[in-house]
Amino acid sequence: MVETVQVQLKKGVLELCVLALLSTGDAYGYEIANRLAKGIGMGEGTIYPLMRRMQADGLVETYLVESPTGPPRKYYRLSASGRTSLADQGAEWRSFSRAVDAIVGSAA
Amino acid sequence: MTRQQFLNRLRNGLAGLPPTAIDEIVADYEGHFTEGASAGRSESEIAAALGDPERHAREMKAEAGIKRWQTERNPAAAAGAVFGILGLGALDLIVVIPFLTSIGGVLLALYCTAAACFGVGAAGMVAGPFWVVGAPPSALIVGGLGLMSAGVFVASGTSLAFIGIINALVWYGRLHMRVFRPALETQGGA
Repeated sequence: MVETVQVQLKKGVLELCVLALLSTGDAYGYEIANRLAKGIGMGEGTIYPLMRRMQADGLVETYLVESPTGPPRKYYRLSASGRTSLADQGAEWRSFSRAVDAIVGSAA
Repeated sequence: MTRQQFLNRLRNGLAGLPPTAIDEIVADYEGHFTEGASAGRSESEIAAALGDPERHAREMKAEAGIKRWQTERNPAAAAGAVFGILGLGALDLIVVIPFLTSIGGVLLALYCTAAACFGVGAAGMVAGPFWVVGAPPSALIVGGLGLMSAGVFVASGTSLAFIGIINALVWYGRLHMRVFRPALETQGGA
């Protein structure tokens, strides 16, 4: 049960995490997948469907950069609406996590 | 699983999407293998960390179906969106099929009623004054027009209901595929 709650929580905030990560600098798919896999234990493969959806929704844009090791890398950067979405979702997350803390904090 | 096996299974799973989209998606995963290899990971290690290729393919196909439904409001797009979500296993066929069949039957009956109202109204308006003896022609024409507009009203109401029902299904299916199903599969796979 604890595990299920955890995975569902991760899934729910994955988009917010990607937005936050990209707000600190552009990144390519492998980097994003790696950071999120290490940071919150997400399956690396979930990133690519998510990035496609976020691109279709206009939250991120892509561009290609030559790579020293192989084929060009596809970099993602936040769009203007991605920044707005980060601000909105971030505020929502903070107020939600404060509210949960206030209830769970002393009990668990 | 090797890199090639993973990419083949992914490509097969994506069949039905536009070829350019398939190439883009496969290239994303191919790039992941390349980056992983230069970071010193083995192909099977990378494939295991990526997860089930068929599942990723189904998720992206369902997403494409939903996108199409959001831009094209027609029965083909609706069917695509619903079947895409069904493919994810987010909606249970046994629950959904009887539900869709009965809803579909009601909607079809409403459309038929609308068409009949329209037809009878038109016939009454045009032919009524010649055939019906004793009734004032103006009443027949007004009555016919009334029936026709009732038909149009019922038809547009039915279309709105249809769109609403598909949207509800899409919303429900997305909720499940985003939150619950991946949660279960991540645990099973990892």
